[in-house]
Amino acid sequence: MSAPSDPAASAGQAPAPSSASAASSSSGLTFKLHPLVIVNVSDHYTRVKAQAACSGDGSSSSGAAPGQPPRVFGCVIGVQRGRTVEIFNSFELVLDPISGTLDRAFLEKKQELYKKVFPDFYVLGWYSTGSDVQETDMQIHKALMDVNESPVYLLLNPAINLSQKDLPVTIYESELHVIDGSPQLIFVRSNYTIETVEAERISVDHVAHLKPSDGGSAATQLAAHLTGIHSAIKMLNSRVRVIHQYLVAMQKGDIPLDNSLLRQVSSLVRRLPAMESQKFQDDFLMEYNDTLLMTYLAMFTNCSSTMNELVEKINTSYERPATRRGGRGVFM
Amino acid sequence: MESLEALVAHIQGLSGSPEERAHLHGLLKQADGDSLRAHAAALVPFLAQLSPAAHSLGYLYLLEACVTSGANLSEFGGGDFLVTVADFLTSCSTDQIRLAPDKFLNVCRVLKDQVMQLNTPIRGIAPLRVAVRKIQASPEQLTPVHADYLLLCLLAKQYKAGLSVLEDDIFEVDQPKDLFLYCYYGGMIYIGLKKFAKALELLHNAVTAPMSSLNAIAVEAYKKYILVSLIQNGQVPSFPKYTSATAQRNLKNHAQIYVELSTCYGNGRYTELETFIESNAASFQSDNNLGLVKQVLSSMYKRNIQRLTQTYLTLSLEDIARSVQLDTPRDAEMHVLRMIEDGEIHATINQKDGMVSFHEDPEQYKSVEMVDHIDSSIQRLTALSKKLASIDENMACDPAYLLKTGRDRGGRFDYDDFDNAPHKYF
Repeated sequence: MSAPSDPAASAGQAPAPSSASAASSSSGLTFKLHPLVIVNVSDHYTRVKAQAACSGDGSSSSGAAPGQPPRVFGCVIGVQRGRTVEIFNSFELVLDPISGTLDRAFLEKKQELYKKVFPDFYVLGWYSTGSDVQETDMQIHKALMDVNESPVYLLLNPAINLSQKDLPVTIYESELHVIDGSPQLIFVRSNYTIETVEAERISVDHVAHLKPSDGGSAATQLAAHLTGIHSAIKMLNSRVRVIHQYLVAMQKGDIPLDNSLLRQVSSLVRRLPAMESQKFQDDFLMEYNDTLLMTYLAMFTNCSSTMNELVEKINTSYERPATRRGGRGVFM
Repeated sequence: MESLEALVAHIQGLSGSPEERAHLHGLLKQADGDSLRAHAAALVPFLAQLSPAAHSLGYLYLLEACVTSGANLSEFGGGDFLVTVADFLTSCSTDQIRLAPDKFLNVCRVLKDQVMQLNTPIRGIAPLRVAVRKIQASPEQLTPVHADYLLLCLLAKQYKAGLSVLEDDIFEVDQPKDLFLYCYYGGMIYIGLKKFAKALELLHNAVTAPMSSLNAIAVEAYKKYILVSLIQNGQVPSFPKYTSATAQRNLKNHAQIYVELSTCYGNGRYTELETFIESNAASFQSDNNLGLVKQVLSSMYKRNIQRLTQTYLTLSLEDIARSVQLDTPRDAEMHVLRMIEDGEIHATINQKDGMVSFHEDPEQYKSVEMVDHIDSSIQRLTALSKKLASIDENMACDPAYLLKTGRDRGGRFDYDDFDNAPHKYF
């Protein structure tokens, strides 16, 4: 399976100037995005990608060049109140790979179903995955215009970029701009904020942290949490060691003095919380002892249960039990 | 059979390297037996030629022949023979004597008998202590020498000397009788040192050890167990489920008055207990337990005062004296003071108005010593847990166990059975 940010992929998607999204939106609409939508889109994409990999990925559903990750499509639904567009939910759509058009019947049926459950929501636009906007997207966008006169286009970039700090989600609107003398519909980027309710936050958090194998029992979650903290502390430790080595080398004279770096280091050190007070020691030791006691208790329980099993075994093998309540009673 | 001189020459010559020693061992085994013992008297001058440290194996054989020959040992140069044996035990080399462990044990046994005969148990303590360490394959193994050594310590009233041997945890036991004796004597030593908690542990082991038929040591141990648990905890716990069925059924019958003593203690009235003890003093005395019983009596006060701490926050000394049935508030103050010093209760006595206020345990758990303490406990527990897990796996593969569980199921295997297998085989 090729990596999503493969040179072939980027060569395949020639940036089309007519759908370029260099401009930013001037419509003045505020977009609010719920995390559920992001999780849905990413889930859809992951599923399709996994299925394609499983089935030997000879043909990808979107007709893109082989070796490219498949594109997925779907609709986003929500509410528009005045100038605020709030995107609550999303569902998947079937795209006809040959003609590149959406399956209208499916869309209508889905819309009807969702209307029953969420009477307030209506189709606000559509979503897709990819690293950038493509030519064909405009057609789909135009096709959706009969459902919503100004749909939004949500693009999720599935490439995993560890250095990137923002979400790889962009929202585009369509605007009529005059280019080369003729009015054309182009995509313009819009800003958005993430909005959530408490219940949604909890469930998305839960879903996001689940390990695929164990399904999130309390023990694995605790272990995952502690592992996270442990690796964070390890990283902190190694960084501090690097700085320390650097300072020692500087002191010995191996490296030329760099005053600006020294100033930064000293300001960093001064920011550390004061750990010398007696109260801190007391509290720290008390908490440390509490954790140790809990570990002790856990070990005790473990040991007692092993001991119990051992005693059962010894009793069954070597003792003649005083009372026997029917054949299997004693051994259970 | 070689002549003695030739044998001695062999011993001197062949005690160098391990292969030579193996050869020597073979020779000695051949020469061993009644013929050697017959020459017992003649052996003594030869012993002088050999050095116990370098020629331990040969020395051991000759020595053992001497001591088991049945002749009166005092013939052998009077009390010096003890010195010879003691000397040998202290200076022999560990690997050599491990080649002939039973002979070594015989020698130790004879030493102990001799010392007891001469009524000077204290002479046997030092050599036997060294012997214990030398014959043990690992610090966790129990040997017959342990029991003998503890007996000598008890008779000589050198309780502290016994501590060094008692501190090791025992995990391997060869002879059940060794275990019973060890636990019983060890318990008595701890009682002598007033370390009742540890005494309780050892006596508990003696009472709950697996036994197919009742033995006298367990009965005596049970009597002391009742007394010590009354002193330490104020009540006698019921038998845990790992006690053998024989013990559960029979021990109580043999220790009837002690059981009655514990019920009387449970009622909490000092005078009743006193009268009960006096009426049965003769039987307690015949068991050599009267001293312990008197300690039970005095611990009654402590128990009652401790019960008071759970009800009251502050109490005057007169009230304490009244409820505990002491005579004067002065006695009450003395008792409370002693208990505070021993750490059994947490309280402060206000002498001005004669009030005692009881506190909670002042331990805040915020010291570094507590961290070390808990940490070391956790380490010990981890090691113990590993041991237990390995024993558990061994038991699961034990044929007796498999036979019992297999028979009950009638030979059918359902899916539940496969869960019992140790997981490392998956």
